[in-house]
Amino acid sequence: MQTKPTKLLVHFGVPFSQFFGLILLSILLSIPYQIIAQDEESQEYDPSVVKNGENLFKGNCTVCHAINEVVIGPALKDVHERQTEEWIYAFIKNSQKVIKSGDEYAVNLYNEYNKTLMTSFDFSDEELNAILTYIKDESSREIQVVVADANQGLEGGEVSSVSSDNLYISLGLNLILLLIIIFVLFRFTNLSKKYVLLKDNQSKGKLLDEEDLEVVKSQFNIKKFIKSNKFVGITSFIFIAVFVKSCIDGLYTIGIQQNYQPTQPIAFSHKIHAGQYEIDCNYCHTGVNISKSANIPSVNICMNCHGVINTDKPEIQKILTAYEENRPIEWVRVHNLPDLAYFNHKQHVAVGGIECATCHGPIEEMDVVYQYSELTMGWCINCHRETEVNAKGNDYYKKLVELHNSSSKKPMKVEDIGGLECSKCHY
Amino acid sequence: MRKIIFNIFIIITLISCSAKNDDPGVEYAPNMYHSVPYEPLSQVKDEEIGSWLDSNPDDGHGEFYNSNPYNPYSMTMREPVENTVRRGSSLPYRLPKDSLELSASVKSPIEDSEDVLKEAKVLYDRYCVHCHGEKGMGDGSVGKVYKGVTAYNSRAVKDKPEGHIFHVITHGKGRMWGHGSQISIEDRWKIVKYVQTLQRQ
Repeated sequence: MQTKPTKLLVHFGVPFSQFFGLILLSILLSIPYQIIAQDEESQEYDPSVVKNGENLFKGNCTVCHAINEVVIGPALKDVHERQTEEWIYAFIKNSQKVIKSGDEYAVNLYNEYNKTLMTSFDFSDEELNAILTYIKDESSREIQVVVADANQGLEGGEVSSVSSDNLYISLGLNLILLLIIIFVLFRFTNLSKKYVLLKDNQSKGKLLDEEDLEVVKSQFNIKKFIKSNKFVGITSFIFIAVFVKSCIDGLYTIGIQQNYQPTQPIAFSHKIHAGQYEIDCNYCHTGVNISKSANIPSVNICMNCHGVINTDKPEIQKILTAYEENRPIEWVRVHNLPDLAYFNHKQHVAVGGIECATCHGPIEEMDVVYQYSELTMGWCINCHRETEVNAKGNDYYKKLVELHNSSSKKPMKVEDIGGLECSKCHY
Repeated sequence: MRKIIFNIFIIITLISCSAKNDDPGVEYAPNMYHSVPYEPLSQVKDEEIGSWLDSNPDDGHGEFYNSNPYNPYSMTMREPVENTVRRGSSLPYRLPKDSLELSASVKSPIEDSEDVLKEAKVLYDRYCVHCHGEKGMGDGSVGKVYKGVTAYNSRAVKDKPEGHIFHVITHGKGRMWGHGSQISIEDRWKIVKYVQTLQRQ
């Protein structure tokens, strides 16, 4: 049977192939209608029941289940074809009971999904029916949704790649523009020189006198320029200024670890954790409100998320092995305040209400953390001079503030309550 | 010309004093920078480090060596002895992880009040919000990726008693891991109060 069309094609040549193409086209065009027709068929479910089921599904099930993809539990498309309604209802009501009863399908499911138990839900039979109806309804119409999602993904990708290229293009264009301007200026001086000389020739030397001619015909003499007093004076001044400035700057860097950015044993990124996912600093640095140090999180805090997330990536594997071996991860300390100075996080964060970023900078933008502030004594003192004491709702400061206000009109700064005393930090 | 080269040499030496990438830079008085007693979160395991200015040559290691050989992994910090009870804090919560059903009868030691709820909201935003979301719907920035975060007001958990919530925060349940090591007992009970308001919404 299949050979027939080819034979016909050979016989009738071009006209028939066009006709055949038309048929193909019409079949292709009719496919979307078929899908829609299918949708109409699925409307046999009572819309109010489907709507009720959708609400129940979205309120209770979506955290672990989707129709077309595996989330925590299996994808639920066509679940009604895999098991009987009684079985499904029993499993939703108490999955543990079904597994313990030794039901083979349930036990396999439990093992396949990392032995995660499904929460028990005390739905009524009516509600269970609504949920299942919703799943049946969704099962029959998933195709169009998937296509729409794929298109969205493509568009997003294109937009981002164009925006990153724009920078280089504009930089390149600027450079070309600059070169063109220089070239045009150069040509312009040459042309005007030629023009003036031509005019001078035409007027037989009446236009320009000796001095003018010297200017027009002058060539740029580098050797002479370099040996001129002006040049020597200016360059030696610039040189000495730069030298002295660099010496002073260089001396000031001794003992200051600003910009120190050590490589860590695990490529942990604050940009992802604190920036993209907006995890609060306190979640990991638990000591910041209760002790002198803010604390580097122990392995078990990493495991709170990474017991589940990205467990196959090599950097995360380092955490998993450390956890299994009960071994601490040896992070490299970034902020090394000299032992001669005392600093207390609790005092500044819990009492003073200072934000982390005030001293640590834009941590949420750092892939690898570096020391943002100088951490010099001048830097500390300066802040103590400028910062008002956070006395709001703190009875400890009540009388101090009254006392201060009776003798001064300015707000109470940290320096007014002994923030500049040597022994506060050095003892 | 020699002078110029000498000057440039001085500049380069001074610039190299500053910290960059893995190099912490030159220390001004290193003996005063490094702690002699054990300090938390700083540990120098290499016995050679600082031997060039050793003030105590008899101790057999460099000036900056700072590790406790008697602790596991030569850590300077040590975990408290097992079963010790912290002073000035409530008694430890002794129910093991598998006693979830027993925990339902545990009662909260703190009273309801506006202030407690305010503090609890701050704590919730620190420790819970990135997974459980602003309104406890399980739609926090991490929760969306982590998946399987139950909404507090969903049928399965909206009637769970305070003891149950406390137990789950402490030991974890399902995909959630225990947060007992991070959050003090008082703070956990405060968070329970706030979670209860989200259950009822």
